Amino acid sequence: MIRVQQRVFDVGDEQRALLEARRDIGAVVSFTGLVRDFNERPEVQALTLEHYPGMTEAALGDIVEQAQSRWPLQGVTLIHRIGRLAPADPIVLVVVASAHRRAAFEACDFIMDYLKTRAPFWKKEHTASGDYWVSERDGDHDAARRWEMSS
Amino acid sequence: MPLTNPSLTHLNARGEAHMVDVADKPESRREASASGLIRMQPETLALLAEGGLPKGDVLATARIAGIQAAKRTHELIPLCHALALSKVAIDFELDEPESCVHVTATCRLNGRTGVEMEALTAVSVACLTLYDMCKAVDKGMEIGAIHLDTKTGGKSGDYRREEARGERAVTPSFIESAASPIVTGEGASGEVSVGQRGDIAAPCIRVKCLAELRERLGVGDVTVPVDRLASSDVAGLKTALKALDARFEGLDQGRVLCAVNQVMAGDATPLTDNDEVAFFPPVTGG
Repeated sequence: MIRVQQRVFDVGDEQRALLEARRDIGAVVSFTGLVRDFNERPEVQALTLEHYPGMTEAALGDIVEQAQSRWPLQGVTLIHRIGRLAPADPIVLVVVASAHRRAAFEACDFIMDYLKTRAPFWKKEHTASGDYWVSERDGDHDAARRWEMSS
Repeated sequence: MPLTNPSLTHLNARGEAHMVDVADKPESRREASASGLIRMQPETLALLAEGGLPKGDVLATARIAGIQAAKRTHELIPLCHALALSKVAIDFELDEPESCVHVTATCRLNGRTGVEMEALTAVSVACLTLYDMCKAVDKGMEIGAIHLDTKTGGKSGDYRREEARGERAVTPSFIESAASPIVTGEGASGEVSVGQRGDIAAPCIRVKCLAELRERLGVGDVTVPVDRLASSDVAGLKTALKALDARFEGLDQGRVLCAVNQVMAGDATPLTDNDEVAFFPPVTGG
């Protein structure tokens, strides 16, 4: 299940929904990304997430499909928020369910690495000293490349 | 409204339907605004307001649908001419007390025929799209009160609907037709973009600049006629854009990514009529 939305999500609700009526799932891993109050500059007051509707959903769908082809997964929930968010607000949620923990851990990690480098979202941070667009990080690309080498 | 000699212009002397020959009419600046509304359950309106509907960003989608519909009016209404609209603006007003969404469309062009059918079509289709986007949670929604508000230019003169009910003053924010910035976030609606309209009948490539690139270049959406492209690929499009406007030199500054029809692409990706090409900076989500 993939959703792009402005409203907040609840990790517990999403995980329960994914596991509901299932008895074949042995492991569930969830990752939540939050807004920090410091980034390239201190005192981040808010951030605005822009995306490219249509392509966003397609890109996220493709990433989840790739994860499903690499690991035996019983279910994936991927939620990304858009619009204006404040520090401590959750931005992104990945919940991965599998029969065994290793696949769930790795697939969750993989989905976040690919989302960071492939899904068309852009962050603009609003700070005490003005607004700026967040720039890409080399570390994110290095992280995503790990999965290419091992495949 | 000066209705001195009302007659049905779409009927000829024998009472048969015909398309009015507008070749000899002088060109003038034409503008029309229409509005309508869709009533829904208060809970549906609340979900819509907070972006909680299963199909996603409802208003952004309905806005695009309305703009697209205005441009295709001639395909739907038999005796309408195909018009090269210069502006289409769609606005939404969420009305909690009335539990409805008011939809307003304004169309403009310099031409020989009026644009009221385009404005009415845009409102209708935007309302239908709102219905489609929300029907999962509310099947009882009702579309209504679709009507022309104002019309200016042309031989029949200006028209302004009597402000009978509701004194809502709607000031639609203009965005270029073909130029609907698909941006979600703060201050997204009505964002002005600078567009270069090609002849609507000629094959065109629709270009979008997103996020930081849009702000750096000061350009949101542009339509480029296919025959302006030196080569029918992304590289050819970039060359044509730079020839069109020096601001596009910025496409070569820093890392700029490209998607064709919402799939990642490169300079060698071929382009054809009506392709959507987006340029944007490296992504920073998550």
